[in-house]
Amino acid sequence: MGRLWALGAVALIFLTLASSALAGIYAGPWRWSAGQGAGSGFSDHWLENYFATYGSGYDKTVTFIDNRTYGWHNTVRNTSGQTTTYPPYPGVYKAHCVANVSGFYGSCTVH
Amino acid sequence: MKRTTKRGVAVGLVAVVALASAGAIVASQLGDSPPPDLAALDKAIQSEPMTRVADIPSADGLAERGVFVQVTSTGEVCLWDAPSAQARGRMGGCNDASDLLGGSKISASLAYDGGPATADVRDARMIGLVDPAVAMVRVLMSDGSYRTVKLLGSKIQGRSYGAFGYRFRRSDLAKGIGPVAVVATDASGTEIGRQPTGFGG
Repeated sequence: MGRLWALGAVALIFLTLASSALAGIYAGPWRWSAGQGAGSGFSDHWLENYFATYGSGYDKTVTFIDNRTYGWHNTVRNTSGQTTTYPPYPGVYKAHCVANVSGFYGSCTVH
Repeated sequence: MKRTTKRGVAVGLVAVVALASAGAIVASQLGDSPPPDLAALDKAIQSEPMTRVADIPSADGLAERGVFVQVTSTGEVCLWDAPSAQARGRMGGCNDASDLLGGSKISASLAYDGGPATADVRDARMIGLVDPAVAMVRVLMSDGSYRTVKLLGSKIQGRSYGAFGYRFRRSDLAKGIGPVAVVATDASGTEIGRQPTGFGG
């Protein structure tokens, strides 16, 4: 019975993570705290970085970080329901998102 | 592993998933609408037309850009900082069309390259939309001074708004002077909206 429970739980976790990965979600959906950030892997073919929230009015930032200087590029900070930016071209970047306030629910997606 | 330990792990894992799901449900119940289907929104953003509502003038060798509004078929209104109406690369965001200022009198978006130290920022721009009750928009800088931005009238979905675009002076940034907040005042000079930028302050 215990084994069955564990197997079911692992399958549920796997399905949740797999659906997130397929959607390009690299953080969340979860409740965010001020200063909390997250990043994707590095790639030379990212097109867009989204931070989408339940509702709008929550201060947040999205950016792309390069793999040489770790500098921030095309950073956008606003309170829109979906905050969006794109990477410079060419180069290898990772998507990064940061919550500037606490207590909202949302996720970060790159594709 | 003992049976009780296995059961504990299983219960813990289920609890994590349940909490994540419950969070989304609670967020909805508290009145926050779920985000739109991002794939559908992205498709709409890339294929549907944008309207230029304000300019970001060229300065310090940097090319002029525009402020664009895009009303999408997915029910969103997006505000973009972009080089042209045809550009795929754009910076900004989208709100539900029923509340395109996100419950505020002002919805501003800051875009910049470089940093995080203000002096290392190569280009910083502010775009935004304001409620018709807003008569003036100023940006509070980290040295306590203000920069007034030019408001242009714009009609979106039959309602009037003010639109603006502003490029921060390179001379300010080089001295470490950055935007702290964008402030909206009504015709009497009373502050009716403020959005922090968390930058240079």
